[in-house]
Amino acid sequence: MLLSKLMSLFLLTLVRFLTGAQARWYGCPPKAEQRIYFANHQSHADLVMIWAALPQELRSITRPIAARDYWTKTPFRQWITTAVFNAVYVTRQTAPAPPAAAAAAADGGAAAAPPATGAMAGLSALSAAVADAALATAGGPDPVPEALPPEPTPEALRAAVRPDDPLAPLVQALESGDSIVIFPEGTRGHGDEPQPFKSGLYMLARMFPQVVLVPAWINNVQRVMPKGEVVPVPILCSVTFGAPVMLAPGEERRPFLDRARAAVIALRDI
Amino acid sequence: MDFLRNLSTTQQIGALFVVLFGLLSLVTAYAFAQTLREGHGTDDAAEQARHEAHQQEWRRFWSLLKTSWFMATIFWVSWALGDTVATLLFALVAFVALREFITLSPTRRGDHRSLVLAFFVVLPLQFLLVGLRKFDLFTVFIPVYVFLALPAVSALANDPQRFLERNAKLQWGIMVCVYGMSHVPALLLLDFPGHEGRGAFLVFYLVVVVQAGVIAQHLLGQRFPHKPVAPQVSQSFQWLSWLTGIAAGGVAGVLLSFITPFKLGQALGMSLLACLAGSLGHLVMKAIKRDRGITSWGMQGQSVTGAGGLLDRVDALCFAAPVFFHSARWYFGL
Repeated sequence: MLLSKLMSLFLLTLVRFLTGAQARWYGCPPKAEQRIYFANHQSHADLVMIWAALPQELRSITRPIAARDYWTKTPFRQWITTAVFNAVYVTRQTAPAPPAAAAAAADGGAAAAPPATGAMAGLSALSAAVADAALATAGGPDPVPEALPPEPTPEALRAAVRPDDPLAPLVQALESGDSIVIFPEGTRGHGDEPQPFKSGLYMLARMFPQVVLVPAWINNVQRVMPKGEVVPVPILCSVTFGAPVMLAPGEERRPFLDRARAAVIALRDI
Repeated sequence: MDFLRNLSTTQQIGALFVVLFGLLSLVTAYAFAQTLREGHGTDDAAEQARHEAHQQEWRRFWSLLKTSWFMATIFWVSWALGDTVATLLFALVAFVALREFITLSPTRRGDHRSLVLAFFVVLPLQFLLVGLRKFDLFTVFIPVYVFLALPAVSALANDPQRFLERNAKLQWGIMVCVYGMSHVPALLLLDFPGHEGRGAFLVFYLVVVVQAGVIAQHLLGQRFPHKPVAPQVSQSFQWLSWLTGIAAGGVAGVLLSFITPFKLGQALGMSLLACLAGSLGHLVMKAIKRDRGITSWGMQGQSVTGAGGLLDRVDALCFAAPVFFHSARWYFGL
């Protein structure tokens, strides 16, 4: 306990010394309400960056997402993500996608990536499956194929999340009242623009309509520590938090995800 | 004067800081009282505009005043804590300044190793050399050895794209932020015969003279606006105010000559030189900022407080210190 406190203090000092870790609250104040922060993803250090940029009071109630395969590789990494960052692990390796998911993915068009490729692609495929399952269970009496299926309630959607779903740990964290930080691109990007968002954000937004969705732009982190380097370079970084995004009633998945992505990109030039 | 001479060196330096902080407090109190004054006749549009312009001027003056407070505090702390701590403090200032410079100069992946070298090897070594008083090595370490080492590391990263540009930027950043800044503690450790242990006076002298020049230039430029010489680079740089600013720095230098080992004529020459280097260095840094499309080295004007970067505060000093140090060593044969 003491050790993790010391480590947290040490890391904060180090990150501030190297990057400044400046938080810029543009669209919303730092407030202790339940939130999902979604940000661009360019480096494993993004997690550390956003953790350091949040004020102390919010840091203790906000849990960042961490890729299970990277952050549990060594005992030290595992300890630091659990004891210091209080992270939520998400599996990037996909469990064999159920056929319903494949159908849903095909149905959803180009939006859903093939499950095996992107880091959190499994998340999208499986969430689609969740949507399907939810429709099946909460759909009500025998819907006519052409008619719009009635909107499932958030509770029904949550109940339909299976324990092996990659979203399950996030749902659990949100249900227990914590805020979370997610990177909807799934994998680290290379270019200037973030990649298209995976649908996990959309699923969470439907499951937790009362949780505020805050876009964030993490600036410069990839310059501090590019892929494959060990020693970080001191460069000023900032995290810009924008105005919350709301899921409009009846909004489709793709338009919503594109809108969320645009909200993140818009923060780059403020 | 006799009373002052009879004090020990430490007491004299202490007295110096009392005077300095007293002066700064007086000016700050005056400026604060001015801001409390309300604008009258607000119906008139022209009056309103004049009031706005007035406010703008005051804001600039406040920023200059802040710089002065910042510098005075740094020197007081560095003097109070001894030479080693002072050197460390200036190393920290150089680190922060270089961090600002590199942040706003785009680098590529291939520069990573050279950046690591610059921050974690070159910077500590340079200040270590200062601390050990190896003045001969310290003056050539960056321009000769690092000049080759950094591009060599860069070349090994196998990325020829914009190679010259990237390396020139890095070299420049190191020259200004590390090499320039390291001359301030070097001045602190430079011993004039008969003036041992009084380097703090010399540093103080340099800072006051340069700052006096910059402030005089700024105030005169506002009072008597002329055509700017290079409007694309700086709206405030005009020949007349520039020359008078330097002259003002020279006068300040002569007035303060009793705290230095210099005679009157020498003090005039040294302070004119320092002011010349400082004001031109300030102009050069402005040109770099315009090139990057920014107004200050603090995070692209993004900072919440609206405060500028550290580099904005120390850039004149970074250029003046090496010139001052070398001419002093050369002329006095130290």
